Amino acid sequence: MEIVGTLLAIFLSGLRGATPLLYVLLGETVTERAGIANLGVEGQMLSGAFAGFAATVVTGNPWIGLMAGALCATLLSCVHAVLCLVVKANMFASGVAVWVLGGGLSAFFGIPFVGRRIDGFVAPDFGSLKDMPLVGPLLRTLTPTVLLALVLWAVLGWFLYRTRGGLRLRAVGESAESAATMGVAVMRVKWMAILGGGALSGLGGAALSVDQVRNWIEWMTAGRGLVAVGLVIVARWNPWLALPAALLFGVVEALTLRMQTWGVPVSSYLLSTFPYMVCLAVLVWGYVRARTRGGMPKDLAQAFARTE
Amino acid sequence: MNRRILTLLAASTLLLASCKKTDEAQAATEDRVGFIYVGPRTDYGYNYAMDQGRLALEKDLGVKTVFFENIPENAEVERVMERMIADGIKIIFPTSYGYLDPALNVAAKHPDVKFFHGGGFKLAPNLGTFFADIDEVEYLSGMAAGAATKTGKMGFIAAHPIPQTLRNINAFTLGAQSVNPKATMNVVWTGSWSDPTKEAEAANTLADQGIDVLTMHVDGPITIAQTAEKRGIMVCGYHADASQFAPKGWVTGASWNWAPLMEKIVKSVKDSTWTSGHLRGKLSDGYVKLASFGPSVPESVKPKIDSVKKSYETGSKLWSGPIVDQAGKTVLAAGDTLTMEKVESMSFLVKGVVGSIK
Amino acid sequence: MNALGSLQERRKSLAHRFAWFEGALSATLATLAFLVASALFFAVLGRAPIPLLLELVEGAFGSAYGISETLVKTTPILFCALATALPARLGLLTVGASGQFYMGAWLGTAMFLYGDPQPTIFLVLTVFVGACLGGAIWSSISGFLKAHLEVNETLATLLLNYVASLLVDWVVYGPWRDPANLGWPATRSFPDSVKLPTLIDGSRLHAGLLVAVGLAVVLHVVLARSRWGLALRILKSNRALGVGAGFSWVANVALVMAIGGAIAGLAGILEATMVHGRLQSGIALNYGITGFLVAWMAGQHMLRVIPLAVAMGALMSASDALQLFAQLPESTSIVLQSLLFISVLVTGGLLARGRS
Repeated sequence: MEIVGTLLAIFLSGLRGATPLLYVLLGETVTERAGIANLGVEGQMLSGAFAGFAATVVTGNPWIGLMAGALCATLLSCVHAVLCLVVKANMFASGVAVWVLGGGLSAFFGIPFVGRRIDGFVAPDFGSLKDMPLVGPLLRTLTPTVLLALVLWAVLGWFLYRTRGGLRLRAVGESAESAATMGVAVMRVKWMAILGGGALSGLGGAALSVDQVRNWIEWMTAGRGLVAVGLVIVARWNPWLALPAALLFGVVEALTLRMQTWGVPVSSYLLSTFPYMVCLAVLVWGYVRARTRGGMPKDLAQAFARTE
Repeated sequence: MNRRILTLLAASTLLLASCKKTDEAQAATEDRVGFIYVGPRTDYGYNYAMDQGRLALEKDLGVKTVFFENIPENAEVERVMERMIADGIKIIFPTSYGYLDPALNVAAKHPDVKFFHGGGFKLAPNLGTFFADIDEVEYLSGMAAGAATKTGKMGFIAAHPIPQTLRNINAFTLGAQSVNPKATMNVVWTGSWSDPTKEAEAANTLADQGIDVLTMHVDGPITIAQTAEKRGIMVCGYHADASQFAPKGWVTGASWNWAPLMEKIVKSVKDSTWTSGHLRGKLSDGYVKLASFGPSVPESVKPKIDSVKKSYETGSKLWSGPIVDQAGKTVLAAGDTLTMEKVESMSFLVKGVVGSIK
Repeated sequence: MNALGSLQERRKSLAHRFAWFEGALSATLATLAFLVASALFFAVLGRAPIPLLLELVEGAFGSAYGISETLVKTTPILFCALATALPARLGLLTVGASGQFYMGAWLGTAMFLYGDPQPTIFLVLTVFVGACLGGAIWSSISGFLKAHLEVNETLATLLLNYVASLLVDWVVYGPWRDPANLGWPATRSFPDSVKLPTLIDGSRLHAGLLVAVGLAVVLHVVLARSRWGLALRILKSNRALGVGAGFSWVANVALVMAIGGAIAGLAGILEATMVHGRLQSGIALNYGITGFLVAWMAGQHMLRVIPLAVAMGALMSASDALQLFAQLPESTSIVLQSLLFISVLVTGGLLARGRS
């Protein structure tokens, strides 16, 4: 029983950590399915975290905060869309531009909100359930942003494989040329994919600042957006696999913290490298598998292989 | 293209620089005092406390101040100091621990400028240090926590294993053990003075393991206080009174009161009575404070805390033996006390602390 | 092979005729776009843009000290830009300069702490060779993954950056911490014998700047004149053709990644020895990503990176002047850097569109 409780606690801790990642991962999956990679999600996530927190401070309503976060990141993703689609700049360079811009702007405008207090979502009263072993921790972890992420996960999985819109999106990523001959408005789909990815990354940032941490500080995402870009490849551009990929990172991160509390005689700095090493390892594994089994949108594959 | 850019750059530089010269004849600026912070001054923590001191200088002494935020703890800070000195500033407070060696470098080049470093233990003729006996307050906080904990398990979330954090962890744990000998302390390092995401998850991880009192040594206490409140466990603050972030779970907390110390320093420089040295503010003088007690602190422990506080005022020492480290080795024999230098360079964790300082 | 060579020559001479005009045009347009964008940014804040821009220029170039500090910043940015530009000549897009910077500083410092060869010249040699090796090895991990498994080098280098900075944290807070310095998280100070001469007395500007500029020139000449440069150009524009012509993709990926890493590693040890005097946490600041921006803005041109590195160095070093005189936070400089980058991307992209 004890061991089950510990394992569940580590899993739930991983789920909390995975939630902001899951939003970003789903968003990046949508964007990359249209043949566009976006490293700017890190900056978009930061802008979402900032706008979400700021709006919650001002209005007192965390739901408005989530919306503001999504909106702000969507606006920022427009920069990427313009640079990639209108100016035809290199998508990786453009992503770095959005990353730095989002980080700089959120740090700049976020200053008045450092040290402010928000109340976040009010946890419903579960009565006696909350003291039950296993059930209690589970209910406590399933906050609105975690549930919303899980709902969006299912919706996007369904959308991509079961709807005409999803088909169009996939067609554009496979080959914009043949999609155009099929009558798909390629540019429109690409725009929507970038903006949709922007909104989701903003939600991820806002989920972090408004719900999980309930605090804002500049650069608070600490590279999570970039990790998500790597995890997209691990998840093979499949929204259904986004959840296990995000969970893997979340659980490894939770485990390293847990190991510290056990007094493991290993430097905490070395323990902190594990999530990144695991991410790199599964990235390599993902490539090996993608080579044998495919899965990468063809146009994107070209963009990844030839970066000029 | 490069030649073009260079010409353009040079031309515009000269043009712009020549426009600038007009307002050079500024009023005497030597009265200003410069502050350098490692993070944002609104962090409700270390930098916030320092900034409160700065604001008091402006209000009480009428001096003008300038401040720099988010300056990293390495040679970057040298440029910032040089920049201030070039602008005529003669008193500089590099407030963060890691600014010490860079400040010594700059101080050697500018003997006419006075530096006051927060928390260091080295001197120059024009560089003194200031700090306050926060570990004594940590000990008192630990007493309150030790009495309040139901499970006897406490958690400490700290940034990096450096002497200051080890001091606080040890003082807090010793305080708790003085009223609750079986109390244990689990330490989690976040690897950053400010990483709220990791702080929140560390707090959750500790709460998951039956720990019911959290405390911290990171730049801002907000995240951990709020997460503890959300999880229904208790929290002791640090740096500044964060009770509003955890109204139910608040135990107490150690906080700074830099204003009187900084005013004393600036006044002594102005009337030329200052000499270089290590200025350490005492608990009895109110330079460090114990925040008000929360609802969970039992009445029975309050007089005990008070009497220990009084004993510090009459010269009793926190760091007196016997002190036993994690591995059970006696690091300080009964009857001995640690020298200031030993305290300032502490590198062990006391018995009852679970965690690695590797 | 001959046909390829003459094709290359013809393209080059044709390109040469337009390059000067186009370069000047895009530089002017980008500068204008940047000025407009930053003026807009300041205007949104309700601040008059001109005085703030003047303040920035004054802070960066207004005094001997300002110029020396701008150039102090330029040095690591230039190294990191070269470290990014070289792999880009093969079409590889790395953002790993900061990780390579850290591992260069890491291994170079290890040589100093654990080996103590006599005479001093050997120490200098091992420290700097160690630094180049450290950066090269770190970069080669991504290079190996790219060459053999096609793993995207952008993501691999990104992830390795985080690992590298944590490895530096590990040693400076742990085993390499100077026991004589009251527990301060930094290694022992480097002796003067491993330090390069300073260029201006009393400043922090050191000969590393000359090394960086020299390296840029050498790389430029080698890439323009040698058979190797030709190999990179062909492999980049058409890998199959290049491989068919007998150039090895795997070997060239390994080579550019290793050399790039070595350059970034050199930057790391120079910052550690010359600027900080010891290995410490967080010394790479934003040099890696700034170097990336510079390399990209320069179109991976080894000489064009020089003035752009100076411009970025100015933005970085003058940010505290903005804090002091205009009460603008340090993030202002980051916003301005990204605006400059976007301006260059936009004007470059639009010009390319106009051409086609």
